Formats: sequence, structure tokens, C-alpha cells
Amino acid sequence: MLHTRLLKTTALRLSLLYALLFSLLSATSLGFLYWATGHYINVQISTGLHTEVTELRDIYTSHGDTALRRVLIRRLLSTRNDGRHYFYSPTDGRPTLGDLHAWPATVHATGKVQNVWIDSKQLPRMEQGDRDQDDDQYLSVLAVKLADGSRLLIGQTLHNAEDIREFIFGIVLATLGVTIALALMLGVLMGRSVLQRIDAVNRTAGEIMAGDLTRRIPVTGRQDEYDELALRLNAMLTRIEQLMTGMRQVTDNVAHDLRSPLTRLRSRLEVTLLEHRDEAEYRNAMEQAISDADQLLKTFNALLSIAQAEAGVRRDEAAQVDVSALVTDLGELYSAVAEEAGLQLEVHNSAAIHLRANRHLLAQAIGNLLENAIKYTPPVGRHLTLALTRDGERVRLSVSDNGPGIPLEARERVLERFERLDQTRSTRGNGLGLSLVRAVAQLYGAQLHLLDNTPGLRVELVFTPERDNTGQTTTTQT
Amino acid sequence: MHLLVIEDDSEAAAFLLKGLKESGHSVDHAANGDDGLHMALAGGYDVLVVDRMLPGRDGLSIIRMLRAGADQTPALILSALGEVDDRVTGLHAGGDDYLTKPYAFSELLARLDALVRRGQPDQIQTRLRVADLELDVIKRSVTRADQTIRLQPREFRLLEYLMRHAGQVVTRTMLLEQVWDYHFDPQTNVIDVHVSRLRTKIDKGFDPPLLHTERGAGYCLRAPH
Repeated sequence: MLHTRLLKTTALRLSLLYALLFSLLSATSLGFLYWATGHYINVQISTGLHTEVTELRDIYTSHGDTALRRVLIRRLLSTRNDGRHYFYSPTDGRPTLGDLHAWPATVHATGKVQNVWIDSKQLPRMEQGDRDQDDDQYLSVLAVKLADGSRLLIGQTLHNAEDIREFIFGIVLATLGVTIALALMLGVLMGRSVLQRIDAVNRTAGEIMAGDLTRRIPVTGRQDEYDELALRLNAMLTRIEQLMTGMRQVTDNVAHDLRSPLTRLRSRLEVTLLEHRDEAEYRNAMEQAISDADQLLKTFNALLSIAQAEAGVRRDEAAQVDVSALVTDLGELYSAVAEEAGLQLEVHNSAAIHLRANRHLLAQAIGNLLENAIKYTPPVGRHLTLALTRDGERVRLSVSDNGPGIPLEARERVLERFERLDQTRSTRGNGLGLSLVRAVAQLYGAQLHLLDNTPGLRVELVFTPERDNTGQTTTTQT
Repeated sequence: MHLLVIEDDSEAAAFLLKGLKESGHSVDHAANGDDGLHMALAGGYDVLVVDRMLPGRDGLSIIRMLRAGADQTPALILSALGEVDDRVTGLHAGGDDYLTKPYAFSELLARLDALVRRGQPDQIQTRLRVADLELDVIKRSVTRADQTIRLQPREFRLLEYLMRHAGQVVTRTMLLEQVWDYHFDPQTNVIDVHVSRLRTKIDKGFDPPLLHTERGAGYCLRAPH
């Protein structure tokens, strides 16, 4: 099983590719070396032949035929003479001298080195040598014309050269073999190493799929690309865990907190049925039941909005929103309600402030803050302020009142769903207003501050619009 | 009114049909998209109530087909999909109004009335009149019994909307959407306060009262019979 997986790994394939490339490279280099060495050897031989021919010619020119013959015989009989062949063929009928049977037909006295094959029958029998004596020999031959037209030939058997060539060729093959073997080995090792890292990821994923959301991919600390990947995936898993937990919380909350009003609704209807009542009473009970149901629907919708904002579902609906206009509209909408409650709503607006957001959500958030302020500020307090200001790059939106405010220790708690500061729940409301504001803040990367307005409460949302490439402002969305 | 309801959920449909009939309308029902389209094409309806999710052909597709065939019968879309984008998609497909489930039946009734009214020529009127209350859209003036009434711009728009829907029930949601252009759920009685201020200006000291509260539903501007 491991083997087939190993074969399929990219690491192994890459290694094979590299092996191929290195082999080609090695082959080319070594091939060049082989050729260069061969060439060098040839040059050596040629030079040797030229030198000797010149030497023999000089002897002939200075000392004549006899002297030449003496030198040739000496050299022919020399045991150091490995592979050297001579042939002297005078023009005027004097006897030839040499260790070939005759002047080879293929050789011409050109004065240039030729490489020729000599028939084995032309050659003398060898006493020694590990060559088959019937082999034809390959010779490097230099043949010249002497002063009187006689011909002189010196040849060198290339078997040494051939041996060297074969030797080098062998080395080339061996090197190639080693390169390929090493490359394959490395490939296998790398492949296994990669498989191990990936198996770690797969294992963790399997555990998570089986239900354990707390598992994370192991990070080796090597800070390599696998670790980077692991860190990113872990961050993603943490987010998923958060979302799952959030979902569970939402369903828990929804179930728990919608039960009460639903039960109330049911009880009201049930009690009404207990005794016979007149039509007016029945009507009344039904109308109240409708009112209860409406309240339930509002709570349900609010929960849905919050959940969606927290999950970032509404992100795609963002568009450029004229927040200044929004503040004007909402200020006007709520000023009437404020007056009704004996309060004064002041609006401090700034012109032409735009944010990239969902208008509905922003309106809901501001609406919730204003409603809270109106609800919780007694006429004694009197003042409410809705303010929109620009603070450098940031946009500050706030609602302040000078009512009783929220005590410091409760400020985290009130942001939770269904949390009411008023534990008796005697005031109307479902405890979701601030939860939505927080969800909206999170969605658009805004900071939410609950501050002491000395006295009273000041709720601030600080947005940091970013300029994207087109120069439009967007809100950071995290 | 003669209505066609295209809704596949049999219980929801039964409830709708019952409610609509008891409100004095005649109603036909189709339980799937293809039947619904056929019946709508046959024509003769004042308003269509179309559920978005249907077996066969979906609601938006039905409306598109009708509009492509130059049928302008007003259509109200019912949907469990309530996001702004979904509204926009629905209205672009040719729907005239969009209501998300769960909805209040009174809301549905009020909107159906408004839809039927919309198609009628007197909507283009620039001078509206209910009993002795007159509103001139161009001149931005409001008088009752020949006395000038000063209204804030928003109050004016509110009154204009109510007068254009005179005799119909107008829900708070409709007002929030049409007069203030917002789609959120206010917890407080924010609309009520504005309406009651308007009522003070146009009804107080005059007879008969024209702006009525329909309990559990909304408001209605009408001259008593």
C-alpha cells in the first residue's frame, strides 16, 4: 500500500525528473570528457608519429639508407616497442624492411596521419598479447616520401588508446548508474517524508470529521511551508469550531428563550378555554395572542439577524451607504418617540460620510441603540444624543444618554443575547438589541465601546474605512 | 377581488384561502408551479399571491413568464427567503411586493389591497381628497375644512401615503418601508408616535375623525359611512 502511494507522490516524480536531468547532464559532461580524452590521446600519438618520422628522415638524409636500416632494425627488435610498426619501401628495387608483409594498399604517403584497418594477415604473429591473433588491427599510420622517392611508414596500434577509451567509458557508465541510484533513493526518502507530513494532516482531519473539533494539525516548529500550511489550516479549524459552537449556542438560546413566550402564549389560550366566556373576552384573548405571536416573530427575526451578522452571511450585501443620510432619517424618526417619552434627542451629524455596509443592518443597530436610550432614560435625564463624526481616518457613531447608565461590571454581560440589565424583565424588550449591535460591529471590523457618559451611557461604534484600489472606501471586514 | 394563490404547502394554502374568503374575496388555488402558470395565463385575476418555492416551476419564473407575455397582473411574492438581495431579486423578476414568512395575515391583506389600488388610474392624481381633508401634492399644501394645516415634510409624506390608500388598511411595516424606506423591526412604537402626531394635526378639532387605528393590523384613513 505504501509503495503505490509512494510511487504517486509528487516528491518521487520530481526526484525521477531530477535524476533524468542530472543523468543527461552527467552524460553530456562525461561524454565530452570521453571525447576530449580520446582526442588528446590521438594528438599524443600523432605528435609522436610526426616526431619519429622527422627523426628517421633526418637520419636518412644525413647518413643514408644503411644508417636508416640499422635504426629501423634496432627499433623493430626493441621490446619497448609496443604496437609500433615500421615499413621502409625503397624505390630502386632494394629490399623492403618492416614488420608488415607489404606496403598496405590503403596507406598513401601523404605526410598526414591516417587511421586505417590493417588485415590481420598483414601483421606479424604476436608472441604475447591478449588479443585474438586473427583480429584486424586499427592503426594510426603516418607515411612519408623520402628524398629519393622511397616511402617510409610508421604505424601505431591503437589498442592502448582503445583500452583507455573503454576504461573511461566504463567510468562514465558507473557514474551515471550511481547518479540515478542516488536520485532514486533521495526521491524515495523525500516521498516518504512528504507522505508522513501529509498523513499527519489527514489523520487530524479524520479525527475532526469524527467529531472532535478541538483537534489541530501538528506543527513541527521548522517554520517551513508545511508548518505555514498547518498554521493556516489550524486557524481555519478554530474559526469553524467557533462557528459550530456559535451555532449550538444560537440554537440553545433560541430554543430556551423562545420557549418562554411560546409557553405564555399557549397558557393564555388554554386558560381562556378553561371556562365559558363571552365573545368580547374571546376576542380579547385572541388579539392578545396575536400580539404575543408578533412579539415572538420579532424576537425570532432579531435572532436570525444576529446569527447571520455573526456568521458573516450578510457580507455580500454590502454597498456604499450614505451614513449621514441614515443618521438624519433615524434621528427624525426617533425624535418623535423621544418627545413622547419626555426626552430631547439631539443629532450631531457630519456631511457626506459613507461606509460600505448593509444599510438594513446599520439602521437596525442604530435603531436598537436609540430605542434602548429612550427606554432606559427617565424624563429626569432628558438628553439623548445621536452623533456621527469623522475622526481622522475613522468614523465614530455614538448614542449617548444621561440616564442610569450600565454599571462597569455588567458591560460585558449586556452584550449577550437575552441579557437584560433589569433582571425582573419588567420593561418591554427581548434583550437582543445590544447583541445585534455587537454582531454588526464584528461584521464590519468596528470597535464597540460602552462608556460612562457621566452620568449615563455612551455607546460608540468606531469604523475604520479602508481605501481599496479604486479609491472607494470600504469597511474592514474580519 | 378575484385572487389566485399559488402555494404548495396545503395547510398554509388552506389557511390563506379561508382567510381571504372570509375577508370577502374570491380565491382560486394552484398547488404547483405549472398549474399556477396555466391558471394565471388564463387570466381574470386582480392579484396573484405566489409562493417562491414551488414544485415544478418556481414562483419567480412564473412571474417572469407572465411579464414576458405583457401580463401586468399585480403579484405579491411570499417567501421564506427574507434577505434584501432576495427581495431585490423578487422585485426585479417582476413582482410588485414581497412578504417574508412568517407574516401576519393582516399584513398580507393590507398589501393585497394596496396592490390592487396601485394599478388604478386615480393614483396619478395630484390632488387627493378624503371627506373635507385635501392634499395638494404639487403645492405641498394640506387643508381641512378650508383651514391650512402645517405639516413637517415627513408628516406630509405620511399623510400622502395614507390618502393614496384611503379606505385600506395600512400596516406599520408598510409605512416604515414606503414612507421611511427602512426594512428593520423597531421594538418601540416608533411609527405609532408619528401617526398619532399626524392624527393630532388633522383630526383634532375636526369632525369626523378620519385616521383610524385597526387593532392588530395598522391604520386606515377613511371617511366614516
